[in-house]
Amino acid sequence: MGPMTDSIAWNNPLRDPRDLRLPRIAGPCSLVIFGVTGDLSRKKLLPAIYDLASRGLLPPSFSLIGFARRDWTNEHFIAFVKEAVEQRSRTPFKEATWENLAKGIRFVQGTFDDAEAFTRLSDTVQELDRDRGTRGNHAFYMSVPPSAFPTVSKQLAASGLAKSSEGAWRRVIIEKPFGHDLQSAKELDRVVSEVFDPSSVFRIDHYLGKETVQNLLALRFANAMYEPIWNSNYVDHVQITMAEDIGIGGRAGYYDGIGAARDVIQNHLLQLMALTAMEEPVSFSAEDLAAEKSKVLSAVRLPSNLQDHTARGQYSAGWQGSTRVGGYLEEKGVDQSSTTETYAAIRLDVDTRRWAGVPFYLRTGKRLGKRVTEIAVVFKRAPHLPFENTAVRELGKNAIVIRVQPDEGVTMRFGSKVPGGSSMEVRDVSMDFSYGRSFTENSPEAYERLILDVMLGDPPLFPTTKEVNLSWKILDPIEEFWSTLGQPQPYRSGTWGPTEADEMLARDGRHWRMP
Amino acid sequence: MIIDMPNTHTSEIAQKIDELHDERGEAATGRVLTLLILTRDHNLEEALETANTASREHPCRVIAIVPDASSDIDPDKDDSNLSAQVRFGADAGAGEIIILRPRNGLVRHQDTLVIPLLVPDAPIVAWWPTNPPASPSKDPIGAMARSRITDAMNSDNPEATMERLRGNLDTADVDLSWTRLTVWRAMLASMLDQPPHLPILKATVSGPKNFLPLDLLRAWLRLRLDVPVELKTVDDATAITAVHLEREDGELSLARPDDNQAMVSFPGQAPQPISMPIRSDEDCLSEELRRLEPDDVYGEVINTGWNLLYS
Repeated sequence: MGPMTDSIAWNNPLRDPRDLRLPRIAGPCSLVIFGVTGDLSRKKLLPAIYDLASRGLLPPSFSLIGFARRDWTNEHFIAFVKEAVEQRSRTPFKEATWENLAKGIRFVQGTFDDAEAFTRLSDTVQELDRDRGTRGNHAFYMSVPPSAFPTVSKQLAASGLAKSSEGAWRRVIIEKPFGHDLQSAKELDRVVSEVFDPSSVFRIDHYLGKETVQNLLALRFANAMYEPIWNSNYVDHVQITMAEDIGIGGRAGYYDGIGAARDVIQNHLLQLMALTAMEEPVSFSAEDLAAEKSKVLSAVRLPSNLQDHTARGQYSAGWQGSTRVGGYLEEKGVDQSSTTETYAAIRLDVDTRRWAGVPFYLRTGKRLGKRVTEIAVVFKRAPHLPFENTAVRELGKNAIVIRVQPDEGVTMRFGSKVPGGSSMEVRDVSMDFSYGRSFTENSPEAYERLILDVMLGDPPLFPTTKEVNLSWKILDPIEEFWSTLGQPQPYRSGTWGPTEADEMLARDGRHWRMP
Repeated sequence: MIIDMPNTHTSEIAQKIDELHDERGEAATGRVLTLLILTRDHNLEEALETANTASREHPCRVIAIVPDASSDIDPDKDDSNLSAQVRFGADAGAGEIIILRPRNGLVRHQDTLVIPLLVPDAPIVAWWPTNPPASPSKDPIGAMARSRITDAMNSDNPEATMERLRGNLDTADVDLSWTRLTVWRAMLASMLDQPPHLPILKATVSGPKNFLPLDLLRAWLRLRLDVPVELKTVDDATAITAVHLEREDGELSLARPDDNQAMVSFPGQAPQPISMPIRSDEDCLSEELRRLEPDDVYGEVINTGWNLLYS
């Protein structure tokens, strides 16, 4: 089904695999956004759509339908989209581009439990097929809380929107969280796959954009110098960090009871870990990649003593850089006795020949020192150092640090002789590569790529149901153990987390990097 | 920052660049390529401006070679009296610019003139914004380059230039007339992606008279579609104005009557507008710098495709 299989049968004479210049332009289609008035839509999705249009990657028939509760007319909605675009688009705002885009914008007012609203949506979609030539191709973006997925899915099914005619496609885009434990993830999957074919479900993780995944793959598998040392013979341990400097903001309703591990470790960090630890995939197709990632995730072993090898914390009041901030329990909407962790660190081992005895330390937290996501592969010390002890006193372990954000790039840490001086002295230095400096200032936003991939039917490199389930299998026992403990250890805002986390690494004779 | 260096040597220029990098605390190793611009004075500033914009996407070192065109030049004289200018920071996009004005005997040895100034271990791109040498791949500068960009349309005699370039084509050569077509080609290809997938019976391209990109577009369509491709001249046009493709079920067309907006029509459907601004030289140069690999399709179009049209 869909244009992918169709285009195999049809050999477009103007296409040539050697013709790498031609950008991929999406075919006729529309994008329906549920929760279009939300933050994500306003700040990311709508500007990304404009940017795609201004880069000439959207078809002339492209249409955008907003679905929301507000009592708006089309004109209201168009004004809302325009404002969002003017504020946030990456490419310069051009009236002509906007005018073309605006012609295809529609608004459908309604709530998710209102069957009539979905009938109106269905009518709008048909109108677009008829008048703008979207040809029955429609993508549904669920920018709504997961609790609303079942209702929306059922309504889409009931109104006939979930099924497409021959040669056309329907796709659904859902964002994390994919459930809050294995059971709920399976339930969510069941609900969505009842309505949509698994190949039409695009689970996306904007944070771990395709660009990042592909950068990591290129670094590991396009080069000769990393792979030979990418194993337990040389690697001492791996640290994967995702730190945020902000608190939970107004998201208490979502965050409280979920916590850092479910919010971040289950998806982002375990995915980064899988990409770091996996074997070379047969090809870079989504399927082969998922196979390798699943292998790693299924080889993960939890520490036998969870008390010693996990840590959690909750931010308390303090100064975040130069701003005074309150603690988690003081946040609006958070229960005074909440045991939700805002910092989580865990040790995982991978039971494969490549990684035997190499611990992977995963940590994430809110209100930490700064915003940073990185993968640090820390190497063993050289087996023999032909220097005086005093010469290498300041020499740390070599490391390759893959910076995911901000300032995406790679840093290598190694020892170098301190120039001059009367005695030999070796100290750590950094060698740096940054995508931003070596390539473009204008790389597309993750969402531009995501939305375009969905419209092109290009399978994302994101978690399959199997990976999601495997990740919950890893996290569930930890969550279960944590639920037997009381209050997480408080840590002062703006620091690098609770002392518990430092002790956790100290037990293994290691320490956290300061990113 | 613009620094004039009259009567200088390449070693002094190299040293100056290093000094400026040191002063600004940045590493020159971030440059991903060297862009060599071979041009004349009258076109220099325009070319540099284009390069500056392109360099924001591809941080590069730009070296412009502008041989002294005054009448007292004697190629047999050894006195080179090299005058140079180095531009940095706000005056040089995301890299640095070196302008070299060789005279006398040095004019014949431009390759060894730039060798000490190239970004180490990085690709070299040569760009002739106006008149290219007869055979870019045999030119001393061209021979060093990984990619050779010409712009026959801006040469004194576009047809004759293109004819020479065709005759001497090497896989690393490309002319910006081809790059100017990318958006048209992409749109046309995506139009044919859509069902019904019927064969094209005939094509027509419209645009100005004696317009190289139009000829290339025609050659491409002739080659790929294997049908007659008619040429319709539009007198006051400055760029390609339309492509019509005839099919059993009617006509598909992509028309750009004005500078920004194009209309796409499919048989039985109302035409739809899409923004499709005329490509700037910056866009074209950026595209070339993004892809440094040989373009086989271009080679086929200007040889096989061209021959299908004109023989």
